[in-house]
This record gives sequence, structure tokens and C-alpha cells, in this order.
Amino acid sequence: MDVTATEIINVTRDVSWLPWAVQYFFLIGVSVSAFLLAAPGLLFGLGGWQRLGRVALIVALTTGIAAPVALLADLHQPFRFYHFYLYFTPWSWMSWGSLFLPAYVGGVVVFWWLSSRPVFAAQATRGGLWAPVRRVLAGGWLPGWVPGWAGFAVGLFTLAMALLVALYTGMEVMVVRSRPLWDTPFLPVQFLLTGLSGALGLVMLFNVVLGPRARAVETRANRLLVATLAATGVVGLAWFAIGVTGLGEVHARALDQVMDYPQWQMTAVWAVLATLIPLGLALWRPAGTGWLTGLIAVHSAWMFRWTVFMGAQAVPKTGAGLYDYAMPTGSEGWLGIIGTAGLWLALVILIDTLTPLAGTPAARDAAAARPARRDYASEGA
Amino acid sequence: METTRRNFMRGIGATVGAVTVSPPAAAEEAGPRWAMVVDVRKCIGCQACTVACEMENAVPGDQFRTIVSTYEVQDGDAVHGYMLPRLCNQCDDPPCVPVCPVQATWQREDGVVVIDNERCVGCAYCVQACPYDARFINPETQTADKCTFCIHRVVAGLLPACVETCVGGARIFGDLNDPDSEVSRLVRDNEVKVLRPEMETDPHVFYIGLDPAFQGKVEGAGTLWRPKGHDEGAPEEMEGEAA
Repeated sequence: MDVTATEIINVTRDVSWLPWAVQYFFLIGVSVSAFLLAAPGLLFGLGGWQRLGRVALIVALTTGIAAPVALLADLHQPFRFYHFYLYFTPWSWMSWGSLFLPAYVGGVVVFWWLSSRPVFAAQATRGGLWAPVRRVLAGGWLPGWVPGWAGFAVGLFTLAMALLVALYTGMEVMVVRSRPLWDTPFLPVQFLLTGLSGALGLVMLFNVVLGPRARAVETRANRLLVATLAATGVVGLAWFAIGVTGLGEVHARALDQVMDYPQWQMTAVWAVLATLIPLGLALWRPAGTGWLTGLIAVHSAWMFRWTVFMGAQAVPKTGAGLYDYAMPTGSEGWLGIIGTAGLWLALVILIDTLTPLAGTPAARDAAAARPARRDYASEGA
Repeated sequence: METTRRNFMRGIGATVGAVTVSPPAAAEEAGPRWAMVVDVRKCIGCQACTVACEMENAVPGDQFRTIVSTYEVQDGDAVHGYMLPRLCNQCDDPPCVPVCPVQATWQREDGVVVIDNERCVGCAYCVQACPYDARFINPETQTADKCTFCIHRVVAGLLPACVETCVGGARIFGDLNDPDSEVSRLVRDNEVKVLRPEMETDPHVFYIGLDPAFQGKVEGAGTLWRPKGHDEGAPEEMEGEAA
């Protein structure tokens, strides 16, 4: 006999990780991924990666500085942030994050400063309002050893912190067993892969918007995007297959919770299209489509996090159906998203003003021709 | 007032073992393990417990530490109601505790999970980790909030407000470490169930007569009633009427 239940009275829990959290996970995911993209050229001096590395470093820096602001805003008691350090809790991933995050952001800032010294020096000679600042930032006053091995050490440290931030952000959500949609070892991998897609997307957009368009950067980024999107698709399919076949109990429960709802079916179709379309475009024309594949990749990385956080929080843990969520206009909703985006945009303008991606022709040539490690040494001398 | 009460609770926490809520001598040595039995068969869905909790704990009107989830169940041609009181399960292995990044929530020796809302940073990690949707961010304190079995009343020798007000006697509270307590007897003599056993949290709210269909996430149509919207709408309507 057919039995149906209709909920008459129950509590509707508000989302407690607000859109600020979506912004944080997006920005920090893109930032650490962008630093991973910057490392081959700027840290290890790999040929052909320098220009892409410089663009990626600006992505890593701007998103990396904006991310903690969004995280702080997501705390309901932001002025108690120092409690993280007063009561460090080694068994909580979030507590570890409070160490990794500032270490990473600090590392990115210092690494960007040290690796941008040739640009500062070249720009300072042009005069203008920023010339005194650029002269200081050019670091002629630094002891000779700082730009050399210390710069490389800072880069390595930041790389390690980037990996730890990627680990903690994934694990922090994965360990929440109460939500089957989060309780999967696929999630940290998906965060990293979609973060890489978002970072590559921003690299391609910055390549068009901020500097003289470099085809080599676009082609390389699009090829990397093909790889990350393909990997994202494979991981997504594996998650779905394990759930739909019942091989994984938690995965099956996660699918059961959402697959009958039209909005989730639409989300699935969207996710497939947002993976396949840029993948096809990037395969078809790796040069010339960067602005489009980049835009789609950035939007996919953001929407993935929106779905993971806001979508999953709309699934009641014990109650029937789904909670309705309508994004408020105030700081708990749209204002948070727009505010964070505005801060990030302001940072992009500031950083691009200080170190124009185009740079001086001499600096650009130098950056493209020489490994970054040697740059530090020669500039310090 | 809320903060003061909670601070008071923390202060007296150390002496809880000495407080008597009819514990026998043997149980006194081990200390109490507070638990609740909910006899679903006796619940009439009057929400007196919900209201008593709101009043006792000054819970904001659009949030609940406990509520009686009420369902309309259609079984063929027959339609009946189903009432399920929900609250924090005071788990023995509470997943909300280890995730807290500042150790603002912990389990007392008597099993009750409490929150220091002066240390809580409002990160809501515990809210996410609770498998029962029992935690929420209190919009007035901007910190995590939940049922505490009215521990401030219990240490004073009183029953939790929801238990005291339950007209059907559906909520029974007591010391599980005391073999002669009513909760011990009910747990021993009945086939009790807990919510979401697959979470392996060892809940200490036990249900008698719980339909397995309501043990986990309920399959069915969700409620359209949003207390927040209701709360916000009411004063405007009243003002309009007064005008």
C-alpha cells in the first residue's frame, strides 16, 4: 500500500554557512591553485612557464588576500577570531586552517614582492605618484642573500602552505558525516580540480584584460584546462557511479536525497554542460577562445561551491523535502557576494597599478628569459 | 540573562555529581548519566514542550531547541497524524564536539553537551556536524545554541521544562546510571529506538513506538511553514489592523 507523509510542522533551519563561505572557498581554492600554476615558472624556473606564472601569481595574490576577509565575515562573531589562537584545537581541521591560512597568504604576499622586484625597479625609474613606493618595494636596501635563497625558501614554504590549505579546506568539509553530500573522499579532489579550473580561467581572463595578450599563455592554460576539466568529469562520474550502483552506502544516500528534485536534476545537467562546453572549445581552438573558456571555467568553479554549500545546506538532516532558500539582499546574501567581489576587484586594480602585468619591456623580457631563482640573485647583487 | 545563566551553569557543573535528583547510592558513585525517553505513542502534538522550552531558555521566536515534528500520513485511504518530538540527542559520541575549533562545546561528565557562548566564535561548524539539525545559530547571541536538557534546572533538582510541561507524559527524564530510575526501566523493558542510528553517535534520547519511516530523514513533502516569515509578518499585520 502506498504511504505518503506530508510535513505539517517542523523547524526550518537557516543556512549557517552563508554565501560568504562560498566566496571564501572559491577565492582560496582559486588562490592556492593559481600558486600551484605559478610555481613551475617562478619558483623552479621551468622554461615556458614564466609568463603564465606571473599572471597566475597575480591571481593567487589578489584572491588570496580577499579570501580571509570573506571567511572572517562568515563567522557570526568575527571579533572573536583571536579565540582560534587562544584555544588551538589540534583535532579540528578548522583550527589547523587558522594556522595554514595566514601562513599561506603571508607567503604569497612576500613571494609576490620578492619576485616582482625587477618590475618595481623598472617602474620606479618612470617617476609618477607611486615611484617612491616602488623604489622601496624594489628592495635595493635588502641584504644580498634575501632575494636569493630566502626568496626560493619563501616560495617553497608558500607552496607547502598552499597544499596544506587545499588539504584542510577539503578535509574540513569531508569530515562532516551528517551531510552525505559532503561525506565523500572525492570532495577534496573536486575542490582542488575545480579550483585549478577557476585559476586557469582567471589566468586566461587576466591575460586578455590586464596585459598584452600572450598566445602562449592562452594555449598552455587552455590545454591545462582540458586536463583539469577531463579529470573533474572523471571524478564526478566516479562519484555518481558509486552512488547509483549502491557500491558506496553514503554516496547512494547522497544521491537519494537530491536526485528526484528538478532543481538538482537541472544542476546536474548544468554541471555536465559547464564541463563539456569549455573542454570542447579548448580542444578545438586552444588559442583564441581563452576569454570564453576562462569565463565558463571561473563560473563553474564558483557554482560548484555554491551547489556544495548552499545546495547541501538546503537538505534537511531529518525533516522531509528540502528547505527553501532565497538569498537575502543584505550582508548575509547578495551584499556579501558583491562586497567580496568588489574587494577582490579593488585588489586587482591596486596590484596591477603597482606591478602592471605588461611591465616594462625590459622587465618582461627578463622575466620571460631567465629563471626566477636567478632573478632574485641578480637583483639582490 | 542568557549568558549569565550559562556562566552559572558552567560554574556549578563541577558540583553536579553531588546534586540529588533521586539518585540511589550506587548511582551517586558513578555520577548520573542524564537521558530522556520519548514515548511517541503518548505525544498528542500540543507543542506545550516547544513553548515551555522557548520560555525557559529565552529562545528567539524563530528558532527552537525542541519541537514536535508533525506529519500527515496517508496510508491508502486512511489518513492519520504522526508526532515526533525532536531535541538534542546528548550523544555519547557527539560529532558536534570534536569539530569545534575553539573547544567552546564539550560533553559534561553527566553526558550533557553544553556550549560556552562567550568562547564560541559562531563558525557554525558544530551546526553542520550535528546529524539531527538540533543546533542553530542564535540570532541574538550570534553563537551556537541547542538543548541542554535544561541542565540549569536539573542541577537544581528540577525536571527539564519540556518534561515538566508535557501533558501526555510522553517525555520521561532521568539518570540512566541508576538501574531503578524510570528511564532505565523504560529502556530495559521496551524496544527503544534512536534517531539516525547509522550515524553511530550513541544518542541518549530514546524513543518508544518510533516508526522506522521517521527514524532517519523523512521521505515526503517538506513543510511550507517558515517560522521566520511568520514571525516577521505578524507585527505588520497587527499594525495594519490597528490602523
